[in-house]
Amino acid sequence: MNLTETRLARLRGRAMPRNHDARTISALAANPGCARRALMDAAGADKQKLAAHAGYPAPFGQSQFAIGRGNAFETQVKANGAAQLLTLLRGHLGLDIAEAHYTDLGAVGSNESSELRHIRTRQRLTAADGHAGTMFDHPMLRLRVGGRYAYLEPDLIACKLHGKFYVVEIKSFAVIDGQADPAKVAAAAIQSAVYVLALRDLLGDDEKVHHEAILVCPENFANAPVATGIDVRKQLTVLVRQLSRIARIEDLLATCPGDLTFDLDPDENQVPRRPPEELLASIRKVAANYVPECLNTCELCYLCRDESQGTTGALGRQVREDLGGIEYTAQALALAAGQEPPPDRAEVAAVLVRAAKLRSELRPAPRAGLS
Amino acid sequence: MRIVGLVAEPIEVLERRIGQLRAAVREAVLAGDKARARAVRAELRQAERSWEDALAEAEAGAGGTAGAGGTAGTGPPPGAAGEGAAGEGAAETASLLPLREQVYEALSLLQVPAAPRLIATVHEAFFAATFPTTRVTSLRRDEERSFRTAPFARPYYICAALAADYLSPSRGLLAVSTWPMEKRVIGSLSPRVDFLEAAIRVAEAIERIPAPVPAARRLLWRFAASIPGAAADANHIQPDAVKQAAEAELRVHKDADNRTRREAAARARRQLTDVEQLFGSRTLRPAGSVAGAGSAAGADGEEARRR
Repeated sequence: MNLTETRLARLRGRAMPRNHDARTISALAANPGCARRALMDAAGADKQKLAAHAGYPAPFGQSQFAIGRGNAFETQVKANGAAQLLTLLRGHLGLDIAEAHYTDLGAVGSNESSELRHIRTRQRLTAADGHAGTMFDHPMLRLRVGGRYAYLEPDLIACKLHGKFYVVEIKSFAVIDGQADPAKVAAAAIQSAVYVLALRDLLGDDEKVHHEAILVCPENFANAPVATGIDVRKQLTVLVRQLSRIARIEDLLATCPGDLTFDLDPDENQVPRRPPEELLASIRKVAANYVPECLNTCELCYLCRDESQGTTGALGRQVREDLGGIEYTAQALALAAGQEPPPDRAEVAAVLVRAAKLRSELRPAPRAGLS
Repeated sequence: MRIVGLVAEPIEVLERRIGQLRAAVREAVLAGDKARARAVRAELRQAERSWEDALAEAEAGAGGTAGAGGTAGTGPPPGAAGEGAAGEGAAETASLLPLREQVYEALSLLQVPAAPRLIATVHEAFFAATFPTTRVTSLRRDEERSFRTAPFARPYYICAALAADYLSPSRGLLAVSTWPMEKRVIGSLSPRVDFLEAAIRVAEAIERIPAPVPAARRLLWRFAASIPGAAADANHIQPDAVKQAAEAELRVHKDADNRTRREAAARARRQLTDVEQLFGSRTLRPAGSVAGAGSAAGADGEEARRR
């Protein structure tokens, strides 16, 4: 264990580490400037529990029903040697009849450790030229995020003889009349992009992995699956850029005090004993970068939102950029009211004064038809 | 030595098993795992019934045999033994058969290793009774325990299919111990081959019965939908056509699959002990878990996987 890992382990405390997955990576990529999230994710802290204990429980996470539904659909598609999936892939990729291999990489012998499974996945995928494998179930990939490896488990990887590898993503939202919820498709696309990136990293050859991920969803109102190709090239560019921007974890660690920990001090029944105020104080020692989008992706969102009240950032990225350099809304209001600005903010102050003037001119005007 | 005991189980074995099951119930209750507790309780009741029956049988048939071991191997025809308790009340549904016999019936029809869900569906389609697939998971564990206590005491065991590479138990697949090893090892093409063979068996079974129930036809359609050229739609489905289509695809895979399976089966026979040949090798387990504790550790793993 090197120094970084020791420090991360101390941050996490006695809890079991939670690993990055495709969801957290795509969330991280959405807000790469947030040191708090980057640090907690790198340490594998249980953000949900931390937020709840600090007094800001977030109604966050997937519903049990959604998870159950997702698992049931995946089981159905993969049942009997992935028979349904094979039929779809034969149609979508034009697989030859002889290409019907199914390899389960879910465990090495009876050992299910991530490292071992990753090594086996690498062996099987690099050896596979279509002769030894068509469908690889439960593969284990990894991706370097913020200086550490995150293990990733795509639903399935398909390989065409003398062809390319495809990432297959099985989702349980319906494609109705060729249309699906755009937000869900976008989320699936960025998740698949994470897998494509990790797979390219594993094979060491970008050309071998197709930029089109295959999305398998129930069609219309029945449970019959349908395959659709989604081009993830755009998501890949975004992801690569964001991942490179995520500050290296060592640099982040250097900025926080050496005795910092998010340990909950659990008793034998896993009930946290640490005083919430103390935990809150520890969490606040690491800077967050709250934006309203966090409400969709991060368990700590309520805590950070509360903390950032009164700052311009809490109103969204657009507002913060427009008010460049002004951190608090109170400052902005004071400047708009005519307060003498410091010389470096003269420009934005002038804009604010003009905006305030416009607003006061418009406000008393009668709003016909709306009363 | 192979003792093909036709009486369900020797009384001592049953007593030992009842003790183990009681311990398992206690563990499950203390762990708060209600589903498992319910399943184990059912097993316990079953075992206690078998014990009563065995005792009654020994009492009736005895006089002279002095109750030694209780291998009263003369009496009932195969299959009837385990049913013992169930036999009388047969006016009810067939679910009175012990679970392992229901699984055996379904697997004997399919003739290939299968997952609990398929086994339950096949049983529902052809034997008019179904069972929750969750119970099947604990079945393999119980079978392994039974085998470890008294090897080869039963005419057959519901055992694991083995993954061809590491000869470890293949995830979620069940098989019958009397099948040849070649049938029980799973290479990369085997899931497809087994799927096609199961389709052929199901089609044949449907051809045999004069008026197949809707559940059977639905099952056949589920197979046919994933075999090229088997059927156009669910309403025009011919068992014969499904069979031919499945056989056609089977011819493409058969040789390659046979080679893998023969090689793996030879390796299994050479390297594995009796228990491992039936329930899979666990030698790759991390250090610390003893082979004897293997079943308990495996049980936890399986529980976790199901969650």
